[in-house]
Amino acid sequence: MNRLAPGPPGEAGTPPPATDDPGLARERTALAWTRSALNMAASGTLIARAAFVGHLAAFGVVTAIAMATLAALTWRHGRVIYHERRETGMPAHLQTAAFGLLMAATVLIAAIAIVVTVAI
Amino acid sequence: MGETRAETDANESEHALVHGPRGPERADAPAGDRHSLRRWLAFAARRERRLEQTGSDPDPRFTFANERTFLAWNRTALALIAAGLAVAQFLKFNLHGLRLIIAVPLILLGAALALASYLHWEDSERAMRLRQPLRYSSMPRVLTGGIAVIAAVGGILAIVDRLVH
Repeated sequence: MNRLAPGPPGEAGTPPPATDDPGLARERTALAWTRSALNMAASGTLIARAAFVGHLAAFGVVTAIAMATLAALTWRHGRVIYHERRETGMPAHLQTAAFGLLMAATVLIAAIAIVVTVAI
Repeated sequence: MGETRAETDANESEHALVHGPRGPERADAPAGDRHSLRRWLAFAARRERRLEQTGSDPDPRFTFANERTFLAWNRTALALIAAGLAVAQFLKFNLHGLRLIIAVPLILLGAALALASYLHWEDSERAMRLRQPLRYSSMPRVLTGGIAVIAAVGGILAIVDRLVH
């Protein structure tokens, strides 16, 4: 038994029920979203810098704003998981939208990166 | 019991669709933006409802683990894209175009992994809901093979670039 888990007390020696989540999985997942947000911000900086190097200043500004927004959304999603999923323990609604958006954004970033790469 | 939950969720997402997402942050968005956002949400909600009506809810810990795996692959994809950009910026070949042969495949590999990681997340989620074994993903193989090929090509290009000049 994990003595750190503040779950409901059970009979000694019985395994915890399948849904007994002390919240560590949720916390790890929230941290993963935070890491993704930081990654997004770092990639945005890199792409914007490359755009400025390639004399695509307007492109760089647009990319920087878009990536900053995306990083903020990703960060916020991590906070939502941390605070709002506490009660249910279940994943939030519209996960498909959040994941699909992240996937589409990454593919879009790749497209932008190829344009910038060819330009510089 | 599982069916009731799926129905409640379906009703909730329908509510979100009809009345739009809650919160004041959407109020100042332009009308066209709001429209396309709503259509995107409708599409995502439909897809999610189809997933939610499959089988029954897995242990939340497994769902969270699946989510983290997706995020880790997505970060890997972003790292590949960033590596491609770094190659394009900082690699100094005598033949200027040569660095594109390394940079563009790296970025394309990143885009492919981003797409595959989403499909793998959905596939795993469906398998867990149906209490079926998880399917192996081809992503590790693609990533390993891709990096190996790009590294080999990079090495050859470096030698060729030396010999030409």
